Amino acid sequence: MITCLTKSVDDTRALAGAVASLVEAGDLLVLGGDLGAGKTAFTQGLAQGLDVEGPVTSPAFVLVRSYEGRLPLTHIDVYRLDHIQEVVDLGMAEIVDSGGVTVVEWGDVVTPALPADFLEVRLEQGGADDERVCVFAPAGPSWVPRMAALSEAVGSWSAAC
Amino acid sequence: MERRLLILGIETATMQVGCAIGGHEGVLASFHGARGRRHVESLVPSIEFVARHAGVDIHDIGTVAVDIGPGLFSGLRVGVAAAKAFAQALRVPVVGVASLDLLAFPVRHSSRLIVAAIDARRGELFYAFYRQVPGGAQRLGGYHLGTPDELASELVATGEDCLFVGDGALRYPDLLAQATHAESGGPAAAHPSATALVELAHPLAIREEFVQPSELEPMYLRRSDAEINWERRTPPDWAVTA
Repeated sequence: MITCLTKSVDDTRALAGAVASLVEAGDLLVLGGDLGAGKTAFTQGLAQGLDVEGPVTSPAFVLVRSYEGRLPLTHIDVYRLDHIQEVVDLGMAEIVDSGGVTVVEWGDVVTPALPADFLEVRLEQGGADDERVCVFAPAGPSWVPRMAALSEAVGSWSAAC
Repeated sequence: MERRLLILGIETATMQVGCAIGGHEGVLASFHGARGRRHVESLVPSIEFVARHAGVDIHDIGTVAVDIGPGLFSGLRVGVAAAKAFAQALRVPVVGVASLDLLAFPVRHSSRLIVAAIDARRGELFYAFYRQVPGGAQRLGGYHLGTPDELASELVATGEDCLFVGDGALRYPDLLAQATHAESGGPAAAHPSATALVELAHPLAIREEFVQPSELEPMYLRRSDAEINWERRTPPDWAVTA
């Protein structure tokens, strides 16, 4: 587990950009954190790091948005859904399997419907208004071996605990 | 009655999108495309194309047949929605056929145990077994969702010569080695075809084994009745003031 501290929305984007250097085809990132915690900002930073051109906006009302970048990026938001089956109905398994990077906002509440191999990114309110604490925790085999590299990539945001 | 026999088949259960038009004289025209996930973009234009080349006015279609899966969600919802829309607009009935049955149909004359398996992603397969009977192939048991290992152990237990169809054995080639005397239909048998759909739907339409368009649903196999535990959906105070 790696804990980081960001000082602004832009800083959260920059942190995500550092994470982007490590993501690979087939990766799933599960974003947790309350409304306003910076999940969409994190995705925007990740998209920029993946060379996605054009704006990345919250998919809260369309559920799924796809972008072309260095790797294809699929941005999903399950906030409007009520049943696990609706998450399955989005075609989650095939989206994750399609060779790009998948980011699921509020994914932490629907993990039974997700593949068991992902990086969880949890964003929480920090001490000051614009500060956020960002915790990275690997679940499954694909991220565990990358945690040392991730720790290095996000070193400048690292929070001493 | 004559009108009933002209069938539009819609097939979107895998990476492939396909459609065909046919009736008592067989399939008149068909289209299949397997280049990526192009179901939304390709389906309706391909139906127009196929109708034109079959010399059929779309209003003369008497039955809509659709592959109801199991398969890929992104494709199935396009095909099922299109089938409902065509059926309602044309005021014609719908026939639903399972993807695995469609895979087994073209190889129904094989004396081997037919194993239809579709890559379900997440390391799983949709699969079913079929055996040759006079007049076609009969499904043995139901439709399953399981891992390649689970399927392999079932096949080892039967010890029979088998023939794989569908993209399952292409994704997991080890299946062929694990099973006893297994052969694969290869890429040519990887996807259910819209022509098989029209052929299989024809006797069903004659027997009027229809489903109401409103009741037409994809076959999912992965089902969860659980509600999402949304304790955290109400925003925290700091998010409102931020």
